[in-house]
Amino acid sequence: MMRLVVFLVFSIFAAVRASGNTLVLLDHQVIRETHSKFFRYLQERGHHLTFKIADESGLHLSKYGEYLYDNLIIFAPAVEEFGGSLNVDTITQFIDEGGNVLVAGSSITGDVLREMASECGFEIDEEGAFVIDHLNYDVTDDGQHTKIVVPSTNLIDAPVIVGNADKNKPLLYQGTGILADPENPLVLPILTADSTAYSYIPEQTIKEYPHAVGKNVVLIAGLQARNNARIVVSGSLAFFSDAFFSATAQRVKDEGKTETANEEVALAISKWVFKEQGQLRVRSIKHHKLGEPTPPQAYTIMEELVYTIEIDILKDGGWVPFNADDIQLEFVRIDPFVRTTLKLKAPGKYEARFKIPDVYGVYQLVVDYDRIGYTHLYSTTQVSVRPLQHTQYERFIPSAYPYYVSAFSMMVGVFLFSFVFLHYKEDVPKTKGE
Amino acid sequence: MKILINVQKMFFSSFLIALCLIYTHASVTDYISSSDLQRLKTVLFTAHSNLNFSNAYYLAKGFTTVKEQVPLVVHLDTCGYLHGNFNNDLNPEEIFYALSTWSLFQCSNPDILHKLERQTPNLHTDTTVKTLKQALEKDEVNTTFIRYALEALTLIGQSIPNTDKIANILETALKKDENFLSIGHALHAASLLGNAGKFALTHVEDLVAQADEVDGRILQWDGGLTTTGLLLTGILRLPGAKPLTQIQADKFATYLLTRKTVQHPRGVVTLIDSAFALTKSGVSPVSIGFIGSSQVVGDNPKLKIRVSDIMGQPLKPAPSTVTAQSATRVTDDVVIISKQPLAPAKDATEFILTLAKVQPGQYRLSITAGSDSASLIFRVLGPVTLNWLDAGLGDADGSSAPRLTKLNYPDKLTSVLQADSSQHLIVRFSLSHSVHQPFLRLSADKREIIFVAEQDSTKAYKIDVNLASELTYSAVFDMELILGDSIMSNPLRWSFGSVDVKLGVSEPKQPIIRGPRPEIKHMFRPAEKRPPQVVSMLFTALAAAPLLLLLIVWLKLGINLSNFSISSLTFHAGLAGIFGLFTLFWLKLDMFTTCGWLLPLGGFTFLAGHHVLSKLAKQKKV
Repeated sequence: MMRLVVFLVFSIFAAVRASGNTLVLLDHQVIRETHSKFFRYLQERGHHLTFKIADESGLHLSKYGEYLYDNLIIFAPAVEEFGGSLNVDTITQFIDEGGNVLVAGSSITGDVLREMASECGFEIDEEGAFVIDHLNYDVTDDGQHTKIVVPSTNLIDAPVIVGNADKNKPLLYQGTGILADPENPLVLPILTADSTAYSYIPEQTIKEYPHAVGKNVVLIAGLQARNNARIVVSGSLAFFSDAFFSATAQRVKDEGKTETANEEVALAISKWVFKEQGQLRVRSIKHHKLGEPTPPQAYTIMEELVYTIEIDILKDGGWVPFNADDIQLEFVRIDPFVRTTLKLKAPGKYEARFKIPDVYGVYQLVVDYDRIGYTHLYSTTQVSVRPLQHTQYERFIPSAYPYYVSAFSMMVGVFLFSFVFLHYKEDVPKTKGE
Repeated sequence: MKILINVQKMFFSSFLIALCLIYTHASVTDYISSSDLQRLKTVLFTAHSNLNFSNAYYLAKGFTTVKEQVPLVVHLDTCGYLHGNFNNDLNPEEIFYALSTWSLFQCSNPDILHKLERQTPNLHTDTTVKTLKQALEKDEVNTTFIRYALEALTLIGQSIPNTDKIANILETALKKDENFLSIGHALHAASLLGNAGKFALTHVEDLVAQADEVDGRILQWDGGLTTTGLLLTGILRLPGAKPLTQIQADKFATYLLTRKTVQHPRGVVTLIDSAFALTKSGVSPVSIGFIGSSQVVGDNPKLKIRVSDIMGQPLKPAPSTVTAQSATRVTDDVVIISKQPLAPAKDATEFILTLAKVQPGQYRLSITAGSDSASLIFRVLGPVTLNWLDAGLGDADGSSAPRLTKLNYPDKLTSVLQADSSQHLIVRFSLSHSVHQPFLRLSADKREIIFVAEQDSTKAYKIDVNLASELTYSAVFDMELILGDSIMSNPLRWSFGSVDVKLGVSEPKQPIIRGPRPEIKHMFRPAEKRPPQVVSMLFTALAAAPLLLLLIVWLKLGINLSNFSISSLTFHAGLAGIFGLFTLFWLKLDMFTTCGWLLPLGGFTFLAGHHVLSKLAKQKKV
């Protein structure tokens, strides 16, 4: 009996922990210490971190078809091949099944990470390449101008991903550049470099056009897949390090040091990538005819429809009402017939009223909310709309009065005439007789 | 023959260089600077807000090791905490922490005792000594407790009884638990046991062999700073051990220096303690690096070089000579210095290397200080001047010479260049030195396109932009020259004008992928056009007119209805009923109800009509 209780306690404990199981792959154990702040924040937020060396044999993401981890952190830029059953295919499959991945590279990013990144739509610059900025490098740079100071204004305009760090605080970055496909709508350039930056091997003179130049150099790229799995690839491992978190930045041409925003931004990004931020869900959907409490079996054309939806957002582990002013409702029959912005009625509760079009058919009430940083919210409700019944058309149309009147005058005429015709008595003979 | 001698000379000199490399060994470049210490101290202070025995010890140990005073409040708080919380039921580790803090912070000072209202200057009593000695004799004792019990006894000046027996217990405890922490504590304990602790020496070699090497420059034991620090101080403390080679010591030092960002008081104490243990050992790593920047500007630049131990203190004994063996340019191996001694500066760790006039570039400097050497990279920065710049437009087919305008920095083109798809944008410029980043940036709004200039045979840079193929839409592009290099002291960003490119294609609108889409309002089918009401009323009147006319005429003429008989009313009622039913049908009844009513009504009216007609016919016959 005792054993059973102990087992139950353990299994409950395991279930609780499983909500934030994270596998951390490292090049070597020293990274665990040089990035201790980042890992400690994750642990404080309830992540259960499992540290492994990236080429250690016996690495597994799943066992018996069940994933052991929800998230994967790869802080192992130099890894040439993963150990155990881990490889690009298993990681891609992990993403396909909703797993989140945070990858940090550096100028020595190995082929396996490069291949993985290209599966996700990014291209990490070739080995040895650094992002160089001769105009915006930090004073503590070692001379190659690779420790660059990036203004926080270069962050993507999405507080849900990068947080609300002070825009005056710069970011320190040292690493390689990433090329993101601008045509890929799922790829998000989270941090881009300045116009004066470029990604190239510092020791080589520029013979070929650099892979990424100016604002096209993506420093940190994000991706939210169609299944809402999130991936962040950073070209710099140092970006997440204790040294950069507590460093002060000073561009060579500037006076005075400023604190960096690396810590705030890195934590915000980690919250986003592990789906602690920007996760939406629909709590309830209601629709009915104006003035009626319940939905009818079918709506009739040109009726007033009232649609209510409640949307929640995940915040600190709990669902709270989500407030926004740009959520739209579409009334779709192949093409949208009506698109209207939902009005916020109460916290997290939205309403739209509109007149159903004069075309009958099977429609869908669609809320398709896809905003940068948020999970893709897509909800459809099917309703049918039928045409007017014959009794529902307009009566007594003024233009038809002549017809009404002629019909009735005919009836009245027939009645009167038949009466007169039947009962009329000629008095003609009398006059003849006179 | 001469050639042969030359070859021999070369061989000999390279042999000498090789010998030199064997003789000296690489040093570390980093060290714990005063600003690092300042940060470590702020971490130590966090222990004050959360006082317990171990945190009190970290505070006391940390500050005493770096020979710093703590504020009086912290001092009093710590002593007060020990005064209030110390008892003899604590475990040996806590007892050691308490006693050690008490002595490090000199809590037995009469002033402090007075403030604490304490009579006895010693924290421990005879019972404490007894507890500690008992702890040593337990069977199930682990190495940690043995170590701290021994440390505590040594601290309060008690002789350790029966060292051989304790050594035996220690060995047994060590066999039971052979992890790194256990071994570490055992090493510390053994170092306190005098001759009886010699057995621990056998573990040292294994331990060093078990250290992990990372990137060939770092050595550490699995388990992080705490484990590495404990083992490192342990093997260095053990008397009679010659555990580390200089190279290994340097690698451990490199590891310790990567941990300068440690965030926990325990880590800080371990770091400082281990770094001190290394500097005090026979293999104290030498740190050679630049003071301040490794970049110099100017004609006779001075490089400041620091030669110190890893705590930033001068070497003891001081190195006989500090020499710059050589300095070569990285790009083409030109030697600019050879065997130049460095001048000592005011500070004992500082040495100055004065360079003669050197070309801007990246140089590799090899320094030796006594038997230690370092290879450092420094850069000499110099300004790059823009000699001239031509910008203008040329024809795609090259039929006519391009029309170029000469510009001087920081002037701008006076007019906007007007270009069409058949033209090329041509920018040419010449610099005093080649640079890594000769870029031309064309920008319009948020979009930018960057071109890389190519150097021709005359070292002039040229950019030729085929507007039709490089650009996709018409816009006014701002032209900007970006010049940068790692050895350029004046990186340049110069917006020198703009070009209006007309390609006949306007900027395509970006489709909205995310974000609110335009609202759609359904266009309802408009109602059919109807005639005005007046017209329909007129026609209503016209339609009603015949009946009205009939009635009027009848009224005027007068009608003789004397044929009327009451019995014929049934027929008229029936007829009226049928018409009434039709009216109802029009207003609200449906076809079936109407038919249902019509059958009896119709039948009745038929019979009544038949009756009326036959009656009328009879009357006529009469």
